[in-house]
Amino acid sequence: MTARGTPSRFLQSVLHNGVGRYVCQLKRISLIFSKKGQGSLGVRDFIEEGVVDFAKSSPGTVVYISPQSCRITKIVAEYLNGNVKEETVTNKTSQEIAELITKLSNQSGLDIIRIRKPFHTDSSSIQGQWHPFTNRPPSIDPVGSQTK
Amino acid sequence: MESTFTNSTTAVLRTRGGAVDSFPPALRRSFEDCAVQVVAVMAACRALVSRAILPLHFHYVCRGVMLTHIREKKRWMKAYTLIMERKRKMEGPPPPKPRSQQPNFDYNAEVEAFSARLQESFSMELLKTAFVNTCYLRSEEERRRALGLDLETTALNLKDNDELCVHGQQFTKGFLNDWCRGSFPSLPEEGVAAVVGHLTGSEVMCHVARNLALEDLTMSAEFPVPDETLQGTFFAVIGALDQSSGPVRAGLFIRDFLVSQLIGKDLFDMWKVVDPMGLLVKELTRKGIALPEPRLIRSAGASTVLPLYFVGLYSERKLLAQGPGETVLAAEEEAARVALRKTYGFTENRRPWDFTAPGEKLQKPSVQALTSG
Repeated sequence: MTARGTPSRFLQSVLHNGVGRYVCQLKRISLIFSKKGQGSLGVRDFIEEGVVDFAKSSPGTVVYISPQSCRITKIVAEYLNGNVKEETVTNKTSQEIAELITKLSNQSGLDIIRIRKPFHTDSSSIQGQWHPFTNRPPSIDPVGSQTK
Repeated sequence: MESTFTNSTTAVLRTRGGAVDSFPPALRRSFEDCAVQVVAVMAACRALVSRAILPLHFHYVCRGVMLTHIREKKRWMKAYTLIMERKRKMEGPPPPKPRSQQPNFDYNAEVEAFSARLQESFSMELLKTAFVNTCYLRSEEERRRALGLDLETTALNLKDNDELCVHGQQFTKGFLNDWCRGSFPSLPEEGVAAVVGHLTGSEVMCHVARNLALEDLTMSAEFPVPDETLQGTFFAVIGALDQSSGPVRAGLFIRDFLVSQLIGKDLFDMWKVVDPMGLLVKELTRKGIALPEPRLIRSAGASTVLPLYFVGLYSERKLLAQGPGETVLAAEEEAARVALRKTYGFTENRRPWDFTAPGEKLQKPSVQALTSG
């Protein structure tokens, strides 16, 4: 679809993140997989090898492992601004899942839609925004001293 | 003839290992009453046949309907789906449930992650106390009383966050007042009060609290958590931080999360001034500068639908500020506001506030130009 038909937003950050301290925006990640299905092999390998390192490296994110009988292996990521992102990871390898989880933890929770401008500023003008009267010479001559 | 048919099918069903018992009561009743409905009998025969072949998987549809995998077309499925759709449309969306009642939530882990995420070291007891609201304690005690539990054995060992809330509120207001007076030394008391009131008001605080995931951890009687409760919880968290890590860390926390909400805001959005000209006159007399005289500087389109006038305020023949407006009076008022912003140092091109972390230092550009022009 065209740009007008699809949603778009301006470049922004959640609560001016980064101006003060940087807060990792991923608050919760849940791995939903099956204990015996072939599609969950990658996730099971990731849980054996990499999930503990990931949990240690991001102490602000809670990692939930929930084995259930399911056909579709999912990763559910919840962000501080309330957005929930579900990714299907059936038949993915452990390496791909690790990369995906790093990508999810680096995102803020804002929607992945077209960003209208790649820049944003709160102080748009230092010397004052131009308007047609800036630097325009006055239309009447200066009024001299009004002595009669 | 029909009754013998029913009796024979019932006998057959019974010999196949008591299958009748697991049928829904409606079907069972039709058999027992011997009021034969052909459809029920057909369904029973069909189920019997398939049950004999595939006893393995049970398809759970809802409490009243449970059936095995049937190869034939399920003619009741469309009617059932339509009825459920109609019911859902009538009732509307289900009420929101707090995150703690949804799957995958471990309170202890969440509280520790909250503390680690903000790069603060809270004392866990203080932080957990900060999340407990009085309304929650009251509702929990009522629930326990309603359930008939003995109050002595099942007493709630939770303290509520009233003291922490009051302490946090006082600390926050004091810190913000000091910060405001330090950043804007010429801002009068009402201005400072207006800015601090805006920052500690429920809108800004609840916005910040929701985006810091405080709502998940707050224990309150109602869900969604009402704004005042959330604001009180946020104050209590700040109070807990102050008591755990000291006023310096708590001050940095308030600076990073509350003061940053001032970025991009205009002074007169937060401070409602009815008569800017009178305020300006007061400011200038206090400083001993001559009173402002308004003069029309520019005008365009005076007889059109959108006239534009620029009025400048001069004190002792020097321009203080100029402002645009649709009428001369509106332009004069806007010019007074611009002059006030300049006096108080709240212009758009002011020096940005210092948000550096306590360890780092601001890099001042100390390199001189190598070539002189």
